[in-house]
Amino acid sequence: MSNITLALAKGRTADSTIHLLKKIGIQFQDFHEDTRKLVFLSEDASIKLIFVKAVDVPTYVEKGAADIGIAGKDNILESQADVYELLDLKIGQCKFVVAGRAGDFPPSKQRLTVASKYPNITEQHFQKKGLDVETVKLNGSVELAPLIGLADVIVDIVETGNTLKENGLEVFEDVENISTRLIVNKASFATKSNDIQLFIKRLTVGLEEEYENHNG
Amino acid sequence: MSSYQIGSAKAEYNADGFKRRETLITQFKNRFSTYGYEQIRTSTFESYDLYSKLNGTVNKDDMVKVIDSSGKVLVMRPDVTIPITRMVAEGGMPEEELRYFYIQDVFRSTASTGTKESTQAGVECLGNNRPETDAEVIMLAIHNLKELGFSNFKIEIGHAGFFKSLIAPAGLNPSEIEQLQSLIQSKNIVEMVPFLEQLSLTEDLREAMQAIPMLYGTPREVMQQISDKLLNEEMHKNLNNLSEIVDILEDYEVGEHIVLNLGLINNMNYYSDIIFQGFVEQVGHPLLMGGRYNHLGDQYGVHLPAIGFAMEVDLLQEALVQKGQISEVTMVPQLIMTYEKSKQKEAFQTAQFLREDGFTVRIFPESSAVTQKPIDIKITLSESVNTITTEEDTQTFRNYQALLDILKQNGGK
Repeated sequence: MSNITLALAKGRTADSTIHLLKKIGIQFQDFHEDTRKLVFLSEDASIKLIFVKAVDVPTYVEKGAADIGIAGKDNILESQADVYELLDLKIGQCKFVVAGRAGDFPPSKQRLTVASKYPNITEQHFQKKGLDVETVKLNGSVELAPLIGLADVIVDIVETGNTLKENGLEVFEDVENISTRLIVNKASFATKSNDIQLFIKRLTVGLEEEYENHNG
Repeated sequence: MSSYQIGSAKAEYNADGFKRRETLITQFKNRFSTYGYEQIRTSTFESYDLYSKLNGTVNKDDMVKVIDSSGKVLVMRPDVTIPITRMVAEGGMPEEELRYFYIQDVFRSTASTGTKESTQAGVECLGNNRPETDAEVIMLAIHNLKELGFSNFKIEIGHAGFFKSLIAPAGLNPSEIEQLQSLIQSKNIVEMVPFLEQLSLTEDLREAMQAIPMLYGTPREVMQQISDKLLNEEMHKNLNNLSEIVDILEDYEVGEHIVLNLGLINNMNYYSDIIFQGFVEQVGHPLLMGGRYNHLGDQYGVHLPAIGFAMEVDLLQEALVQKGQISEVTMVPQLIMTYEKSKQKEAFQTAQFLREDGFTVRIFPESSAVTQKPIDIKITLSESVNTITTEEDTQTFRNYQALLDILKQNGGK
């Protein structure tokens, strides 16, 4: 059986995924949460696991360095990677929103300035609405931008909305739902079709069981 | 600390890369010829109108535009199939089938990748509509990939008619069609389900749209998965067309390389029937793409059934380098000749003779510093003696014939 390379981001996604893989009989013996190793081979040698930075997972998969990747929809969208998106693992559910200073909607400006960690998603969203905006790419503390006048609104991920509220911001508009997805390299899907489809089938069964346990 | 060598900046590397690329292109040319295709070229500059009048081909924003002195807008060839079809159609319906191949650059400019030129090697077979032709064209694509040394490659086959007959009864607006297309292309069932629910579609149609992306696998597997009620009459016809072609391909004994992908959609709207693309391991983008376009000729007033495909030469070369399958360029020894001033005329004469006999000669006055590879052969003409130095030894020679004999013994041509 030829190896499938699976790219994962360390952290919560990785822990739930490894837990899920264990349930369907794929175990990584020398893996523990504090390990610094970046490459693991499953006991049956069918899966090679590599750990990469979350934003890089779609790139690894698109370029074929990994056959399969598990990544947040936010990173998949932002990277605009040309890959198959086959499963929703339903972990890390949250959403992309447009937010701004409470009560300041719609901002009375000719041309909006939008701050975001995700410039591609931002541009696409406003382009769809037919609005020409100026995008400012930030790497963190995006909530600050409307408060100090760096931007009129922000596009960011919201889970509970608490961070927004504490900073006097409110959601103006939902952009897209986010959760963890399984993506596959298009060439691998063609050349390793059987292995990959089998893996996905097993994973789907595992996911359904998990889902039933939670709701049962 | 060792320093990095930036390959592309080195002229020598460029020359080697170019040689490899030429080898690749020569291979394609020979292979295309053996199937009866003849090389043609189309103009680099095309009228903007040629493309802007056709819907659903190259995105207008992606074309590289040029303005000529009279203010007319031209585009740099964004595609080869359209100009070839137009050229043939303008001559009327051909009496017999025409087989053309091309090695040409196409130019595109997108926000994400910038302006890019890429070399395409492709064929177009115009003037007939037979499954045997379709199978042979796909065979030619497979033949090329095999010859390059790829072992694990697949040709995904689909039908342009599937997507068209899915959206025809649905009455979607252009942005909905675009969204549906991208969901099908990424096999994104997760998001397709809620997307389809908010459209007003019949139950059957929705089910078919959801099923199409996952109809993927060996022809036999896919045929088993398809239930009758899933497809309308048009789609059944399309499917029969595909299985006929796949059956013919079986007789070429290339069945192992064929995968059906009924969710395949080509962004070029001119495809009407079978479409296909080729993948090799590890490269996430198709290395070749093609299909049948029976109605493109209608745009120019001629019914001209045709099929063709194009290979991405740059991507193929990259894939070969990545696999380590590209052979080192064979080093041909050069003759490095140095001479004393008094021997200049004789040296020039000798060099000319050698070149006419097919040797590569670089000639320098004695005083110049000459760079030389170990395999090069050094020839020195001086007042007193003429010598030739190879890797093994140094010999003297009196005249051109003697020099030639030594070179022949050395096998260095």
